[in-house]
Amino acid sequence: MNRFTSLRSSLAVGLLAIASVLGAQIDRSQAPAAGPAPKISIGSYDMTELDNGLTLIVVENHRLPLVSWSLTLDTDPVFEGRKAGYVDFAGNLMTTGTATRTKSEIDEAVDFIGARLSTGPTGAFATSLSKHTDALLEVFADVILHPSYPEAELEKARKQALSGLQANTTDPGSISSNMRAKVLFGDKHPYGEVETEESIEAIAREDLVYYHQTYFRPNVAYLVVVGDITAEEAQTKVQQHFGAWERAAVENRYQPVPARPEGNQVCFADLPGAVQSVVQLTHVVDLKPGHPDAIAASVMNSILGGGAFSGRLMQNLREDKAFTYGARSSLSTDPVMGRFTAFANVRNEVTDSAVVEFLHEIKRMASEPVDAASLETTLNYMTGSFARSLEQPETVARFALNTARYELPEDYYATYLEKLNAVTAEDVQRMAEKYLRPDNMYITVVGNRDEVAEGLVRFDSDGEIAFYDPFGNPARALDPAPEGMTAADVFNLYYTARGGAEKLEALKGVRMEGNMEPAPGMAFSLVRETIYGKATRQEVSMMGAPVMSEVVTTQAGQTTSQGATETMEADQLREAQQDLYPAYLLHLDELGLSAELVGIDGAKSSPELVVELTGATGTTELRFDLMTSLLVSETSQREGPMGNVAVTVKYAEYEAVKGIQFPMVAEQSAGGQTMPMRFEKIELNPKLDATLFEVN
Amino acid sequence: MRNFTFLSAGLLAATAWAQPVAAQVEFEEFDLKNGLHVILHEDHSTPIVAVTVMYHVGSKNENPERTGMAHFFEHLLFEGSEHIARGEFDGYVEGAGGVLNANTTQDRTFYYELLPSNQLELGLWLESERMLHARVDGEGIETQREVVKEEKRQRYDNQPYGQMMPTVFETAYTEHPYQWTPIGSLDHLNAAAYEEFMDFYKTFYVPNNAVLSIAGDIDPKAAKKLIKAYFQDIPRGTKDIPRPDITEPIRTTEVRDTVYGKDALPMIVQAYPVPAQGTPDYYAVEMLNQVLSGGESSRLNRRVVDEEQLALFCGAFNFGLEDPGLTFAYALASMGVDPQNVEAAMNEEVEKMRNEVISERELQKLKNQMEAQLIRSQRSMASIAESLANYHVYFGDANLINTEIERYLAVTPDDIRTAAETYYAPEKRVTLYFLQSPNPESAEQ
Repeated sequence: MNRFTSLRSSLAVGLLAIASVLGAQIDRSQAPAAGPAPKISIGSYDMTELDNGLTLIVVENHRLPLVSWSLTLDTDPVFEGRKAGYVDFAGNLMTTGTATRTKSEIDEAVDFIGARLSTGPTGAFATSLSKHTDALLEVFADVILHPSYPEAELEKARKQALSGLQANTTDPGSISSNMRAKVLFGDKHPYGEVETEESIEAIAREDLVYYHQTYFRPNVAYLVVVGDITAEEAQTKVQQHFGAWERAAVENRYQPVPARPEGNQVCFADLPGAVQSVVQLTHVVDLKPGHPDAIAASVMNSILGGGAFSGRLMQNLREDKAFTYGARSSLSTDPVMGRFTAFANVRNEVTDSAVVEFLHEIKRMASEPVDAASLETTLNYMTGSFARSLEQPETVARFALNTARYELPEDYYATYLEKLNAVTAEDVQRMAEKYLRPDNMYITVVGNRDEVAEGLVRFDSDGEIAFYDPFGNPARALDPAPEGMTAADVFNLYYTARGGAEKLEALKGVRMEGNMEPAPGMAFSLVRETIYGKATRQEVSMMGAPVMSEVVTTQAGQTTSQGATETMEADQLREAQQDLYPAYLLHLDELGLSAELVGIDGAKSSPELVVELTGATGTTELRFDLMTSLLVSETSQREGPMGNVAVTVKYAEYEAVKGIQFPMVAEQSAGGQTMPMRFEKIELNPKLDATLFEVN
Repeated sequence: MRNFTFLSAGLLAATAWAQPVAAQVEFEEFDLKNGLHVILHEDHSTPIVAVTVMYHVGSKNENPERTGMAHFFEHLLFEGSEHIARGEFDGYVEGAGGVLNANTTQDRTFYYELLPSNQLELGLWLESERMLHARVDGEGIETQREVVKEEKRQRYDNQPYGQMMPTVFETAYTEHPYQWTPIGSLDHLNAAAYEEFMDFYKTFYVPNNAVLSIAGDIDPKAAKKLIKAYFQDIPRGTKDIPRPDITEPIRTTEVRDTVYGKDALPMIVQAYPVPAQGTPDYYAVEMLNQVLSGGESSRLNRRVVDEEQLALFCGAFNFGLEDPGLTFAYALASMGVDPQNVEAAMNEEVEKMRNEVISERELQKLKNQMEAQLIRSQRSMASIAESLANYHVYFGDANLINTEIERYLAVTPDDIRTAAETYYAPEKRVTLYFLQSPNPESAEQ
């Protein structure tokens, strides 16, 4: 086949193809043989350095009339501390104003020529048709060199970021990456920082100016130009726009080395109502770009689950077990600290089984050598990926950038395929032994705590799952309750604090009116009427039109929602009948409930007594203020059409109505979102129309 | 030996840049006797080839009692064939250094392999096996049923606002099969019997309902011979191919509804019925959306997000389909902002489009954006192969890859205003609010 290597690959393929077709009828029962291997040419680039230290890399490619400009800062990650988020703000807000242009002028200039422009904390990117290069470059240079950080734009960005945080509290992906960052790197490492409301509020304009002036310097920057432009043209234009950019020393930063967990640690973030678990098994890996092990380690990861559909995780968890839509793994090199992560989204009931399979596949990488066929498939797949990546001219530019930035040998990419194809089964096993830590991992899960968490205890080395909130902060555990105290004691204290059990039990009925607003201007009103011992009715309406209603009597109960009426099942009815008692916690036996005082939550600003109430429909957690004895919140876990749903109601602003304390505010939350309701009017022993309580 | 021999970086493939700078995509096309349409595009820049097959079947061809079937089939057809054992399909492609995948829309199902160019024949073998005698068996059906359920959970049920798309289509269409989306109903898939799967395969997965589109480092002459060898003996389909002929009635009163879920911020979504893709008015609608939503300086973003800060994001996009589709205008309200205020601002911007023509400068901006978009779409062999197939399947004219731009550039400011007036009328649209759920339980104590 050697004689073909000097021919154009297409011709070689053509000759072979003709030969095979003319030679014989095709044989469908076998995969056809490949033609002779085509040449892979990486292509060339041009690298120069300006006097101010800016490194310019140019890759010419005239297939399409496009040019792209990409600036990369080679700086160490910055620890932000109590202002987490300011580095991103400094990068993103560069396009919101310069010394000579407003945001809308920048936007208009870019959009008018159909170009794209974006900036970030470690660089900037722009692309356009080559005929618009000069117009684009002018704006590109301006935002990099002269951002003005207008106060008004900072306030806009702050408002957006705060809304974004709110939106992310129901996004399992965001919750998972927050938790992973925190557990892997801790809160003293730049990779472990998570933005919070407080940190976003703390960002000031000076922080952005400081960041830009300190880090956006030519001597730590690479400018990569790709496309329909010559190296000479690019050099002239870059000299013209960036020649006056002033150099300044940029210090390297020390990064603490994150600790590994002793044994495996299960980390769980509750997402009430979730129908899938976002599962990740992860640990840090000290593997720098260009390290001699990097290629063999990437082969090892690829066999396990790095992209190919034929990876072991995908074949096992999807094609064999059908636990998931996709299971993969990644092993990243990083100049500071890389990481390994195996991940999948799996349905609730197989979450623990999925972890078993993950652990099995990860351990198997080190315990047995990979078979020759799998290794061959993987090396071919990676060879093909490398060749395909060369379709985009940006790839050559990336190779040049990495070579310079990570001080790789000059021929690192030129000899990449040779090194790749020299990887053996022994190498793969050695890499697994060296870099995978199946006994020192974090197993992070975002999901439905009630349905999933218990099954994961067995994977945790100390048997205690660590729970986290949506921002990766620990959710505090409970302290023990005072010796000898019971749930009944807590209930007695509660009713005494409200004015006394006797007084409550003497009530004949109550009528309550309230309002709630899921968003300003979207008002719902609620009316609730109860004849104790007989019936209760509540109705939610919007601008006078009923949205939903519920009627419960001693015999039956029904709910009506958007015109559809449903009759309550026995268990559901029994639970709803709690409302027929003015002090239902004194009648647990009649209601089929049991109560247990589980402890004190000291993490709250005012400590709370926590009682768990269990009945046929599930559990409800009641929390009472330790000082006032009043009910602070209740959280019910209930089966809904989408799986388990947790509903929390917080009570506040207790006020006396004829000597009995009622909370005037009830704030409901589900899925981490809250909606306040305020009672406007509470009437005791009212006259009520009995016909309103009829159940059809 | 691996798939590629490697030459050092010093050896530049000078031939790669031989083609002139132009957006002109050369191709040739022909039909086999069994009705399979073939399109070939030759480009030797990189030694790779995209082998793709587009079947003209999507969720709109489904029986209303069996929604989700087309997408389910896309999963099933990776299970193997008479000559390819279960699970081997991926291994062949990946072992040859390639990648493969597929996707399903309302109108078509698209399969592709991206391979080193010396593996063209492998791609043809795999795709011809899939067309001739795919493996449709109980084990595959059971496994993929569970996998598709996980896909639905991951992409819809466990995603913030995941029900948005299905709900909009369900509300906007009352007659046309676009009322369900490709993911369909899991109950329907559970109910489907084995014979129904076979019937679906024999009806839609036939050469006369498919386009084989190949782009990359090929010799067209040799490729043609191979294509004939692998495909010409596949029998033409004998069943009628159901194509819905349903005209969605024009709405005369706006439909407004509120959907309650658990996500915190209110999402506002409006859907305007728009003409089928490829019709003259469709291009005016596309340009109209570009004015509203193309870039940071577009009208909706500038007003709603930037100037008035009512929303985290706000925009519009065209969901162009073979039959009349929808334009979506949407916004995610910022914390504490009344969604009605967001909607009012969106409506005002749409009203302006209906009453005033855009300026000459805005028109020039649109043209510049369209030109750049067209050229960016030719960055990879995979996207060229897909575009050629699309143009043939929908319009019977693959050369639209070169000429469609003229249709965009022919749109005048008055065409845009007229399109806004005609199609973006408030009474024709659907407006949905996605709000956090109120719950009667909040009154319990």
